Amino acid sequence: MAHPAVAVLESALRARKLDRTLTTTLPSWEWTDPSALLPMDVPLVDACLRGGLPRGQLSELSGPCSSGRMTLLLRLMAAATQRGEIVALVDTCDRLDVASAAAAGVDLNRLLWVRGSGFGIRGSGLGPEPRDHPSTMLGVARATVEGQSPETTIDRALKALNLVLQAGGFSLVAIDLADVPPVRLKQIPFTTWPRVQRVIEGSDTACLLLTPEPLARSAGGLTLSLAGRSTWAGGSDRSRLLQGADLRVRVVSPRKRIDGDVRVRASAF
Amino acid sequence: MFGALATVEGAPLAVLAEVAREFSPRIEVCSPREIVLDLNGLTRLFGEARTIAEELRRTAADRGLRVRVAIAGTRTAARLLVRYRAGLTLVEPGNEAAAVAPLPIGLLGEVANPQSPEPEAQSLEVLATFRRWGLRTLGDLAALPSDDLAARLGRQETDWQRLARGEDARPLVPAVPEERFEQTLELEWPIEELEPLSFVLGRLMESLEAHLVQRDRGAAVLHVRLRLIKTDGTTRDVHERSLQLPVAIRDARTLRTLALLDLESNPPAAAIDRVTVAVDPTPARIVQFSLLTRPLPTPEQISTLMARLHALMGEERCGSPVAIDSWEPGAFAMKSFMPPDANALRSRDDTQRHRDTEEKPLKDPGAAPIVAVRRFRRPLPIRVHVKQGKPSSVSIMKRGLSGGAVDSCAGPWRTSGAWWEARTPSLDVARDALSDSRRANPEPRIPDPWDRDEWDVALADGPTYRLFRERHSDKWFLEGVVD
Repeated sequence: MAHPAVAVLESALRARKLDRTLTTTLPSWEWTDPSALLPMDVPLVDACLRGGLPRGQLSELSGPCSSGRMTLLLRLMAAATQRGEIVALVDTCDRLDVASAAAAGVDLNRLLWVRGSGFGIRGSGLGPEPRDHPSTMLGVARATVEGQSPETTIDRALKALNLVLQAGGFSLVAIDLADVPPVRLKQIPFTTWPRVQRVIEGSDTACLLLTPEPLARSAGGLTLSLAGRSTWAGGSDRSRLLQGADLRVRVVSPRKRIDGDVRVRASAF
Repeated sequence: MFGALATVEGAPLAVLAEVAREFSPRIEVCSPREIVLDLNGLTRLFGEARTIAEELRRTAADRGLRVRVAIAGTRTAARLLVRYRAGLTLVEPGNEAAAVAPLPIGLLGEVANPQSPEPEAQSLEVLATFRRWGLRTLGDLAALPSDDLAARLGRQETDWQRLARGEDARPLVPAVPEERFEQTLELEWPIEELEPLSFVLGRLMESLEAHLVQRDRGAAVLHVRLRLIKTDGTTRDVHERSLQLPVAIRDARTLRTLALLDLESNPPAAAIDRVTVAVDPTPARIVQFSLLTRPLPTPEQISTLMARLHALMGEERCGSPVAIDSWEPGAFAMKSFMPPDANALRSRDDTQRHRDTEEKPLKDPGAAPIVAVRRFRRPLPIRVHVKQGKPSSVSIMKRGLSGGAVDSCAGPWRTSGAWWEARTPSLDVARDALSDSRRANPEPRIPDPWDRDEWDVALADGPTYRLFRERHSDKWFLEGVVD
């Protein structure tokens, strides 16, 4: 039997409609409906996630450079779009490689891509100067130099994220903050993420953050901490090829008592 | 009871149709000079058939038209009579065959083809046959035994005999008048801001929606016309915007939101004293929902979302990516986001499975993920130390990207292309001009020439980069991060 003080506290929380923070009100994880999960179609990772990322929750993929964040995100998108669902990517720094997305199996017709203007790399505040650009790249995809400050870029990306989430109907909405400097990330008001969670609560949308380090997730969401190392084929220098990457995925969600560690091998295309 | 109205001399069909519509909403345009009216039920309004015929003639005369009028129990009889007899012709119901019997048989060629006043070659051939048989009037043809006629000419040709008896082969097909879906509101006081304009637009859109629902139509293009008053109070200008809608939409709130978002991006230059909204109508959508697939956002929701995103991020920065069939590094295009229906995908798969004897899986769920690249739209200039023809260390001047000694590398992969495209000022102008059209249509585009050696490089402390050396300048650039 629960302690009387705990019972009083729980009843007080229920009276103020704050009982969603109580672990006792959560449904049993084992009985979760499979349709409330967003599988990645990578058996090892799905087994570790016990089915997939939870819909209606804010989760995050965090890790350093080359840890496989974009690889797993595109895999999630490919799995969702091949099921006929639609996904959205708010690309704060405009880093999506369309060829990689197509190779990963993403149905591009079902992908809404919102391209931020970017602001250079990690707090430089400026993009590369035009005189440094190789002349061959000027016409590839003319990124507009809008002279936006990092604050403006992040602010617009968050507004775009909110618009997409408010529209509803997307099974996965991801925001790529992987190239935003941690200093800027910490300047985002903390209330931003609970608001995002409130928007998607009860919906079929899973919201995913791509960050260099764990930033925010909802109580029911998951954190996938990634680390990766590229693998190479070929013995000699001349025959060497980038074969893929060994990704280490650590799933963290103390509240749902999921804590696993799996290794996934990704292949180059 | 039907009436036929034909002009004696050439006159605009619109005027003739206008005269006919004053009497009956059910009219059929038979030729540029001839219209048939359904007069059933009009005797209560106008009186006897003769009165109706005289009224028709008088109304046409008021519009400056000299017309022939024939009224009969069938359309065919009325048409035959109006072509042959001047003035007013009245036939009592049931006497059509007798009334048309003395008419020359050549009239059948004109009546048999409703789209053209001139007889077709096939009609002329049949009429020539009738003349060879010695038939001169419609009565002669009507008197022939139907079975013998069908035995000689075929069952299809017996329709000629029905026409000769003044019988109708098909019911009247009423012409639908072209309808304008437009609402206008004159304002007592000019509006200078968008917020009060939203209320005006909302009111107009609701009326427009009711009209569209009544006619089972949707809007394909939305036109907003705002009459502006300049500061002097007398000069008037019109600010007009047209929105091409991705699907037929008739929801008033969606149309209002789309119009407002467009006006936010393209605001009028002065106060507004008259607001007009109009749509180009198109047949409404028929949506079949499925119990087996997750519902996608409606086209109205997607249109509103895209309009908001365009206003926030810029029109060219939101949409679906399109992979271009090109070797050009990083080449892609954007198109508007309009996801196909999940049911369409399912039915397409089913069709494919039926077509193929062996079922092919659409995906391999257990396959390893594919390594992705995070690409810099504008590659970063870097410094690379080369030892024995291979990168040995990389230094990157940008914070957030670490450099260091190279642990493993693969390359070089030499690529070049578009060298045949001369980089001339005129070409640059042409390319700039194309950049606008590329938004709507990703093709065609002119690639820029490239010539470079690519390397995949893993640093000792972890990150894996994709580098390249521009051959003509011997400079190194960071193209992306393997992530």
